[in-house]
Parts: sequence; C-alpha cells; structure tokens
Amino acid sequence: MQDSLADAHARADALQIRPADPAADAAALRRLALWATRYTPLVAPWEEENGADGFFLDITGAAHLLGGEECLLADLRRRLNRFGLPARLAVAGTAGAAWALSRFRREPVTILPCGQEAAALSTLPPAALRLSCATRAALRRLGFRHIGALIDKPRAPFAARFEKELLLRLDQALGRTAEPLRFACAPPVYHSVRYLPEPVVTTDAVAMLAERLMQGLSRALLRDGVGARALRLSLYRVDGEVCMINLGLAMPTRSPAHVGRLVALKLARLAGTIDAGFGFETIDLAVTAAERILPRQTELTAAADGTPEAERCAALVDRLRQRLGPRSVQRLRPAASHLPERAEAPCLTAEETSAWPPPDAAPLRPPVLLQPPEPVAVTALVPEGPPLRFRWRGMLHDVVHAQGPERIADEWWRARNTCGPTRDYYLVENSDGRRFWLYREGLYGRETEAAHWFMHGLFA
Amino acid sequence: MKSPPVPLPAPRRAELVGALRRLLPRMEGVGQQGRALSFGIPALDLCLPQRGLVFGALHEIVPATEGDRPAAIGFLVALLGRMPAQGPVLLVAAPRGWTGSGRPYGRGLHQLGLDPARVLLVAAGGREQALGAMEDALRSGVPAAVAGAVDRLDLRASQRLQLAARETGIPLLLLRQGPRTEASVAMTRWRVGAAPAARDRFGLFARWRWRLQLERCRNGRTGAWVVEFDDAYRFSLAAAMADPALPRRAGAQSLARAG
Repeated sequence: MQDSLADAHARADALQIRPADPAADAAALRRLALWATRYTPLVAPWEEENGADGFFLDITGAAHLLGGEECLLADLRRRLNRFGLPARLAVAGTAGAAWALSRFRREPVTILPCGQEAAALSTLPPAALRLSCATRAALRRLGFRHIGALIDKPRAPFAARFEKELLLRLDQALGRTAEPLRFACAPPVYHSVRYLPEPVVTTDAVAMLAERLMQGLSRALLRDGVGARALRLSLYRVDGEVCMINLGLAMPTRSPAHVGRLVALKLARLAGTIDAGFGFETIDLAVTAAERILPRQTELTAAADGTPEAERCAALVDRLRQRLGPRSVQRLRPAASHLPERAEAPCLTAEETSAWPPPDAAPLRPPVLLQPPEPVAVTALVPEGPPLRFRWRGMLHDVVHAQGPERIADEWWRARNTCGPTRDYYLVENSDGRRFWLYREGLYGRETEAAHWFMHGLFA
Repeated sequence: MKSPPVPLPAPRRAELVGALRRLLPRMEGVGQQGRALSFGIPALDLCLPQRGLVFGALHEIVPATEGDRPAAIGFLVALLGRMPAQGPVLLVAAPRGWTGSGRPYGRGLHQLGLDPARVLLVAAGGREQALGAMEDALRSGVPAAVAGAVDRLDLRASQRLQLAARETGIPLLLLRQGPRTEASVAMTRWRVGAAPAARDRFGLFARWRWRLQLERCRNGRTGAWVVEFDDAYRFSLAAAMADPALPRRAGAQSLARAG
C-alpha cells in the first residue's frame, strides 16, 4: 500500500503502467452488464461501494431456462473466458453473500444452497462484508478475524461502537434486510428471448424473429388483458456488443405483424448506425410498458381485416413515427386561453385531445398562425386607429378594409410567462384581397407611448 | 398507300367522341365507381370528370403568386373539410412547408370546416421524407384525405403518389410552391388567388372569396371562376353584379358558363 512508482518498479521490473480511467472502466462494465441481460433482464453493475468490477444478476426464475444454475454459470464462464475475462462467479440467496463468495472463496465458481449464508460467511474475513476502510481497521484492532465472530452477537454494542454500515451489511448478506439494486436497464413487464443456433445478420431475419417473439408475448398480453405501449428489442452480437432499439407505440398493441413492420422500419432508419458484425446470436424482445386494452365490440365500419379504425390509425402513426422520428406526428389540442398562441398546443397522443369549442360563436381566427409574431411597420391615421398601410416582409400593403379591434388582454392571473401589454387585433384586407391578422401591442397613452405592430396570422 | 381522313358525319362524330370520353377515364384507372367531391356549383362541377373532384387522385393547388399562398391554403383546407369520409386528415409538410414560419392553427381550420380533432400534423425532415410519408399514408388506406406541401415534385414521384391514391381511393391534395410548376400526372391543377371578401350590410367580412383557375383537368375542361366560401362551408359563385368591387370580367365569365 501507498508504494511509489519507483517502489513498484523495484519489485517487478517487467511492470507496465497505464493511467487509470475510471470512466472508461465504468462504461466497459456497463456494456458487459448489458450483454449479461441475455441471461436475465435484471443486471446491476457494481458501483464504487461494491468495487466497480463486476455485476449482480438476479437469476430468480431464469436459471431453469438454461438448464439450472450450474449450466448457467458454466455458460457464463465459458463466454466470459472467450472475451478474455477470467471471471469469478457465485450464486447465493443474497447479493451480499454472492459478492463475498465470489471474492473470498478459492474456487472460481461457487453455488451456495439457500439458507446457508451464515455458515458460508462465518469463515470469511470481515472485509467480505463490503465495509469501509475505517470500519475494517477498527474491527481488526478489536480482534475480529472472521465474520462468524460478528454473527449472533448482541447488536446494541456494535450499533453504539460502529457506524450503521456494519450491521446493515451483515443483515444484507444474511438476508435479514432487503438490498436495493440499481439495474442497468429498467426491468421489463414481459419479455421473450431467443437463443439462435446460428447468428443472423440481415434486417429481414431480425424483423421476422421480432415478429415471432411478439407472437409468444401476445399470448401473455392477451391473458392479462393488456397491450404493449413501449417495446425494447435487444440484439446481442456474437462479440458481446448489445444493440438496444426502443419502440414507442401510439396505442397499446398485441399485433405481431405490426411490431414486425415497425422493427423493419426502425432498422431501415438506423441502417447506418447498427453494425451487425458477425451476426446477432441472441434476440430479446421486452415489453417495457404495458397498458390495459379494453375489450371492444367490433365496429360495423371496420375494414375487411376486422381491425377497428382507431387501431389502424394508431398503426399508421407508429409507422410514420418510425420513419420520421418520435415527435413528427402531432395532433392539436385546445387549451383554455384567450391568447391565440396559447389557445392550442400540439400533443403526441390521441387521448390527450379534448373537445374543440364550436367554431361559429368564436371570433374569426386565421388558418395559419405565425409563431413568433413578426414585427410590422404600420401607418395609421391616429395612434389607436386601424392600420392604413403597412410594410411586412419588405412588401407595402394598402389596407382597403379593416375589421376590429378585438382586444385581448394579458393573463394577469399567471405569475410568470405573461405575454406583455394588451393587444388589439385587426383583420385587414389589402387592395389585392389578401387578408392579414395584425395586432397593436399596448394601449396607446396608457401602457405604451409608441404603437408597435405585429403580424400574427394569415387568413384564407 | 394512305387515304386522306374522311370527315365523319356529325351524329356519328359525336357518338365517337362520346365513346372516347367514356373510354379515356377507364384507361386511366378512374372508373365509373370512383367517388367525387362536388363543389355544389353546376358551372364548376360540369368541367370536372364525374362532376366533382375525383377521390383517389392527385390534385395540385398552386398559389397564383407567393403572396396568395394563404388563400391557396384556405382553399385546400376548405376542400379537406368537405371530404365526407370518416378518419383522420393528414397534413404533411417539410419544415417551414406551409408558409415560412407559420403553422396550421386549429381554430382557424375549424372555421373553414375542418375539425382540428381529425387533423394529424406530420412534420417531415425534407422533401423525400414528406413524399415517402404521404405515400405510406395513402397506401395504409386509413386517412380520409392527405394533404401535403412540397416545393418540388418530379414526374416519377407524382406518378407514385397518383398510383397510391388510386389504389386506395384517398384524395391527395398537394400545395405547390408556384407560380411555375413542373410536369406532373395530377388529375387537376388549381391556381388560387386571393379576392376581396364579400361583406355583409354592416361592412363585416361575411364570405371568403378566391379566384380559382382550373388550369389543368384531365378528362375535363379548364375554366376560371371567383368562388365564395360561406360559414356553412358551402361554395358558391361570387355574384358579380351584387358587388362592384369584384373584377367584372371573371365574374361575368363564370355567369356565362353557368348559363
């Protein structure tokens, strides 16, 4: 400890020295953790307190898929070895015990039967409890050489003598307290994985496999009366890289064909960024968000294939979004505001749209709104009068007819984001019959000394 | 040896022309069963094949000058609002596609008869993407109508769009950059200009008016009219005599055709 570089060289002359790069290490560990999601979706890379050199796999309910814990460990070890990573693996009932066994047992692979944590840990040194340096030093000073000496001792003296850490770590290792883990990616609601005998490289094959996986998932989705709202397709490359593709859907779906089409579109769009390398050996389709699908009566007007109108619309929206980007397709939603630019807002989903007020009673509004309003130079007879002539985008317009003003005042009840002074809107027609929506900002003489004019919309 | 063309007797000639008239639309895939959107103006509808704007076809709307673009948009929205089919209406545009920095405004669309709850705004990154999105939407058969704003359109792209529209019977309205347009296979091309609006007896705006020029019409006739659009979302011809502000010639022409 605390040796200088010269000391180290003096001991081993063949020493190679590299500067530490914790960020790159963490990124590499995270990549490896993502790769390990081929075994189970719940993978938590170790952070600083755990040594930042490994990861936890929660294999509850996943081990039997690979033929049991022994086979899983053997497979994991073989594959890690092929990456050039000699690994130490341990299976235990608690994360703490597995951590201790993987580091402090001589055998590289340990499988601890359930309920034997205390017996297995008792022979290990206190360092196996993931304690801080200070706590370890204090325990050594007090003569605790093994964890066994700590188990089943009266807790009060330890609590008084040490930080909370010691008892917490002990409890976590023995399974008396739950240990929260930070998983690399959000655990899916449903997922289906396929290990391929032969790696695939083509887009078509991936899309077809995604469709197959969705077929499997759709049974579970149908059983629970839900549909997928967000999907994640993980492609595990032969060399350990993982590509993750997230798909968002406009409406919950269970249709394998729809998912297959979306995957094909997305892959076509990402063609430049995804490198299949020597192929993908494992493919996993996960439903990361599921939503209830209410059973519906088929619509009378449904198309020949029996899918209702709304679903076909959602399918179209999904396809366009895969092609053009997630925010490319929007609907308009009315909002309760008198200010034209706040009276409606684009929104992404169909559910957000609420009923529009009837158009007849409302004052005239342009079909095209300019956002932000563009400044206009206006000549008027009197400062608070309608415009007579104005210059906009370099063109001079003579006003033949002006209708207004429609006065729209600031929303004073909003503490922030006020729009400024009162506006007087005029609908004007020029000598060519073109119609414009202009407003004068500020009440002349009361709010402002000079009238400022803006173009806010264009009428048909 | 080639014999000189023999002039047919008049009744036989009319018969032949009639037969050709019936044959041509079928050759272009617009069958008798195709639906059409009537303007409700006899003079105008008579010029169009099937007495209206044929569904399942590409129609171009060109502003007469750059400043007439809002009028062209208004005409386009008015047509979209009159489409009877259920389902969403797609407005596809590249960035700044509609008018510079402007964007479609729901309440204004509503006042032209297009329910904003049906509108899907599709923002494409460029012209190719916009064309692809329009074709995709047409082929899906879902929307009631598709409208798009593109600056340029080559013949091949227009053929693809026309084909897609014909397959599913969905009308496609394209707002073009204008005033000059390239060749396309569009069924109709409308040149739209602004005209002074009709006012009521209090001097308030009552009905929008547009100068329409049907510049191109396959299997039909071209023409020019000044049409009005009232708040019941109906088209009518502007009455020239009632409003001296109107350009006299255009109105008179339309009246003559109506008679």
